[in-house]
Amino acid sequence: MRTDEMEIRNPSGLHARPAALFVKTASGFASSIRLENVTTGSPAVDAKSILGVMSSGAARGHRIRVTTDGADEAAALDTIRDLVAAGIGEDVDG
Amino acid sequence: MTSSVRLSGVAGSPGIAIGPVWRFDASATGGVAAGGPVAAASPEAAIRAAATETARQLEGLGDRLRGLGRDAEAAIFDAQGLMATDPMLLDDAIRRASESGDPVEAVRQAATTVADMLAALDDEILSARAADVRDVGARIGRVLRGEVLHLPVVPSVAVAEDLPPSVTAEIPPGFLLGIALSGGSRTAHAVILARSLGIPAIVGIDGLLDAVDGSTPSGGAPVAIAMDGESGEVVVRPSHRLEADFRRREADLAIRRADAARLRDRPPATADGERVMVVANIGTPADSGRALAAGAEGVGLFRTEFLFMSRQTPPTENEQVEAYRRVLEAFGPERPVVIRLADIGGDKAIPYLRLAAEQNPFLGVRAIRLAYANPDLLLTQLRAIWRAGAAAGVVPHVMAPMVATAADVELLLSLRDQARETLVGKGLPVAERMVTGIMVEVPSAAFLAPELARLIDFFSIGTNDLTQYVLAADRGNAALAGLQDALHPAVLRAIAGVVAGADAAGIPVAVCGELAGDPLGALVLVGLGVDELSADAGSLDGIRVALARATRPQLDELARRALAAPDAEAVRELAAAVLAGTPD
Repeated sequence: MRTDEMEIRNPSGLHARPAALFVKTASGFASSIRLENVTTGSPAVDAKSILGVMSSGAARGHRIRVTTDGADEAAALDTIRDLVAAGIGEDVDG
Repeated sequence: MTSSVRLSGVAGSPGIAIGPVWRFDASATGGVAAGGPVAAASPEAAIRAAATETARQLEGLGDRLRGLGRDAEAAIFDAQGLMATDPMLLDDAIRRASESGDPVEAVRQAATTVADMLAALDDEILSARAADVRDVGARIGRVLRGEVLHLPVVPSVAVAEDLPPSVTAEIPPGFLLGIALSGGSRTAHAVILARSLGIPAIVGIDGLLDAVDGSTPSGGAPVAIAMDGESGEVVVRPSHRLEADFRRREADLAIRRADAARLRDRPPATADGERVMVVANIGTPADSGRALAAGAEGVGLFRTEFLFMSRQTPPTENEQVEAYRRVLEAFGPERPVVIRLADIGGDKAIPYLRLAAEQNPFLGVRAIRLAYANPDLLLTQLRAIWRAGAAAGVVPHVMAPMVATAADVELLLSLRDQARETLVGKGLPVAERMVTGIMVEVPSAAFLAPELARLIDFFSIGTNDLTQYVLAADRGNAALAGLQDALHPAVLRAIAGVVAGADAAGIPVAVCGELAGDPLGALVLVGLGVDELSADAGSLDGIRVALARATRPQLDELARRALAAPDAEAVRELAAAVLAGTPD
């Protein structure tokens, strides 16, 4: 099991479009992947569920904790870390 | 023959539409025709099959919209496609169906439960997504019942309680003339869609469904409707006279839109050529593009609270440098950007500041007042602005909110200079200078304008707070709505005093409150001698069109009469007459 914290940089947080990309990315791995919103202290959700990810209410500047568990847990965590750092498909500078 | 029914709602997207009603009802089968229901061995299998089919349809809609270049809308369907097969929704629906044996109702209840949870989140964008989840639930329900949508066959005005995105997307382009909703909000998908299509939308129209459904004979021709998306007026079954009135508005609007487009690329001015600066208010760096596209000559109010809210630690100096630099670079040296220092006080939850709860936060220790005991927050912000100006190669403008006295101004200036010295001491590059002004929103600052004007470079009047403080009427108290009018002559007299003080010292006066974005307010303000109007990007066209219709002598006369008027309503009538070209 691996875990790491990262900061959401999208202007509007994990709303529909970035949440969809996040879930599609997570769903590409066999490992179970959980997401917690550290900033709000909301309970852990399934990172492969868009409704779960959206219900975490992760807004810009919030910190999330991602936990991966399974055969490809290292690759899954690395990929998600890169995705979040890159703004989950959104222009975080724009 | 039923007579005309006049209704009103909240304006969502401007424009005029006149045409037959297309009635959509998500709860009944009224908007849908029967096909064949899903056949399956068990409620669970039926739900899974319907969910998979729904996801396929939604993804197809997304692909179709992407093909039309409507990427932003397509993304909604990608997300909805994932929602349709989401374990959180399906597991709950299947559990409910195995108990009740009714898969349609189970899906509806499961979707409602999730939607209610999203709606309860303290996040406007996410809570608006609750409607998307309900829509997905309704769609799975339609697939389970074997129903298909019955779409308009002639160009029509959609009438519904709410219009889900997956329905609007299936209406062929050109067949949607306008959207009139009894429910919904200004941030509803249907409204966003209407704006992107350039069609009118009105939400929250009380009595709409009764008026339409009550006057539609079954099997007869659909009832006609006329709507004005700017005023929020709706007429069901318009008489010939009312229809002619809406046609006239349609023609007026076309002329105004053509005027606005023509004026967008020219320096804003009155009809007799007096220049007025027209700039934008922005809330984040991401708003810059929209402001520039709207023809903003700069930024009169860059709110910086977004940097400080919704987080556990204060933003670092470097993080702030980046945010300010992006805006300064976007506007460049020819378009000044006024950065407002953080307007933070006891009414906002900023956990890391440990602000004391106050009985009257709007009369409390907020904004510049915080800096007496705790200067670090503003010092960090001012250092970031000095550095951002150097990085972007421009002279940054700053202003402090909530300034009440000369002591507040002196504190601002000393913090500004101290921030610069710290950076110079470290050998870091700083902007050549910092144009420094204050917000005038506290009545004492308006009274002291002649003295304060000698200390600083510009005034920017925040009419929203100035109105609240001059008339002692809480902005959030609906019972005092009649007193929350910035066109009240008492507020206008305060503004006239600020302009006189500024003129004596030779500094400019801007207005960055909502009054500046109201075409009537813009005329009164320029009449009073205000040099610069700053408003939301969407209001700039209206300001330029209004200015281009009035001359300096007309505006002088308007200001003279407005200052002597008995109330705000009288001022509005005087300004409306100038705008219409009929001053008496």
